[in-house]
Amino acid sequence: MRMSLRILLIDMDADRARALEEKLSESGFAEILRAPDDLELAETVERTKPDLVIIDMALPDRDALEDIRAVSAAHPIVMFAGGDDPAFAEEAIAAGVCSYNLSGVALQDVKPIMASAIALFRRYRRVEEELAAAKAMLEERRLIERAKAILMQGRKMTEPEAYRWLQKKAMNENRKLAQVVQEFIERHEADSAAATQAGRKQP
Amino acid sequence: MSDVVSFAAARKGAAPRMRIGLLRLTDGAPVIAAHEFGFFADEGLEAELVVEPSWANIADKLAFGFLDAAVIVPPLAFAVELGLRGAAQPLLIPFAISAGGNTVTLSRPLAQETNERANSDGVSIVAALAACLRARNATLGVVHAYSTHNLLLRYWLATAGIEAGRDFKLAVVPPARAVEALTTGQIAGFCAGAPWGDVARRARVGAIVATSRDIWRNAPEKALAVRTHWAEERPEALGGAIRALLRAAKFCDDPENAAYTAALLSRRKYLDIDPHAILAGLPGGTAPDKGCVFFRGAATFPWRSHGLWFLTEMRRWGLVDESIDLRALAERVYRPDLYRGAIAHLGEPAPLADWKHEGAHDAPWTAEAAPAPIAMPADRFCDGAIFDPDAVASANLAAKSALHNL
Repeated sequence: MRMSLRILLIDMDADRARALEEKLSESGFAEILRAPDDLELAETVERTKPDLVIIDMALPDRDALEDIRAVSAAHPIVMFAGGDDPAFAEEAIAAGVCSYNLSGVALQDVKPIMASAIALFRRYRRVEEELAAAKAMLEERRLIERAKAILMQGRKMTEPEAYRWLQKKAMNENRKLAQVVQEFIERHEADSAAATQAGRKQP
Repeated sequence: MSDVVSFAAARKGAAPRMRIGLLRLTDGAPVIAAHEFGFFADEGLEAELVVEPSWANIADKLAFGFLDAAVIVPPLAFAVELGLRGAAQPLLIPFAISAGGNTVTLSRPLAQETNERANSDGVSIVAALAACLRARNATLGVVHAYSTHNLLLRYWLATAGIEAGRDFKLAVVPPARAVEALTTGQIAGFCAGAPWGDVARRARVGAIVATSRDIWRNAPEKALAVRTHWAEERPEALGGAIRALLRAAKFCDDPENAAYTAALLSRRKYLDIDPHAILAGLPGGTAPDKGCVFFRGAATFPWRSHGLWFLTEMRRWGLVDESIDLRALAERVYRPDLYRGAIAHLGEPAPLADWKHEGAHDAPWTAEAAPAPIAMPADRFCDGAIFDPDAVASANLAAKSALHNL
């Protein structure tokens, strides 16, 4: 295994990049460089001459990276793990990370590095998804409260009555409660805006 | 009631799924409209749109089966078919998405210098731009090496005698970064699809000096690339996708629908861009005749001669090597036969020929088609060249027979 493999990390998420840098440094065989999320990607690659580039697939910069052959002798090859292992490549794509091999690094050297990157990207992705799910739930609750308030005020319902009314509407329409509630609020707001405008027009 | 639900669920389970990748570009309009209006669902297809940040993602996700289809720049479809930039995957193009829509956008100082020189020297914009670029060794941006933008910009500038690498630098800049790169001076201009030229113009950092039609009138732009394996296993679903897209292309091509389409595309989950910048590039938008065309003039028909023109230009600039039979490749990937088969019973006209001379028409003309002829726009190249697909074939044959004689 080459002791002085130079790896350039290009990642939008600074925390994740730091974590990956630490993890790869611990293994002791690589020199890690971190590129900021910048415009001069081609120049950064020219200057630092990495053997391997690991890049976040959410960045548009992959397209710029693929053209580096146009300005140097380097010939970046998209390499998830090598053509012989599509399952590994699929894991990398699902995790959202890929690598470019710039100096013909041997496959057995790339694989453990990519395995680390995949594991880390996957963990961060899971945290993001959990966060998004939690946010969506909070938002749904907020909307239900708002819809109940509209019903209680406008139709003189009690709170349990208002909730049952919304539930029944969702059931009758065979739709999710969150959808029904959101639409109900939008319609209410559009109606009251129209009413306000109509009110203004009156002499 | 529960029967209805389970029936719907069963039908949903059986519906073939098509995952379609696209970028944040105006010419994604027909795919977005077909999805939002339920045209795919009407054809019994469950479409899933996936907006990707890069062409590289589109290529890799097609190659590894994460996408079944994509709105693509045709040269990249050939690159994936041949495995030129990563893993290979057989693809076919049964439908063309758009014509035109690209802009050449320059930094305001370079645009001003170009316009002044064109006026004072009495020369064309491209000649003036070539002189300016030669004087300052500037860098221009394109969106990907295997893009229509790279090929069109090179073609245009070559007509004024300048070449990338020798007279100016060409760099790949993702369109979402182009406005920033123009502001910092990293690039002096770029060629990209709508709406990015108008985004730069509205941000007051760039000026549009040319569009696709100044390089090649009615230039083919995006196409629908489908994984061959997916298509072969689901011929009915592919036909449905083609019909859904044709219906959406008609909608998006109607000037009356421009404002509606712009609003739809501007949504956060699609382009996430000011609808006014999008409107400029739509048929009937604020820049009439300069933007995308989705339906008129057989814009949806996958002419094999379009594929062959792209391949010939890719070879010209060293992107495909000499050993490849370009005509056979164009024939394998571009599939007008599938297009005709899918729309046969709709009564929509489809051209009778698979190939045509490109650039042969200075004025509108009529293409032979069934059941009725199709009114076609002029298709002139900026240098007046005429591309004869048969000439490419005979060059290949000549090479083969020369080899045979050895």
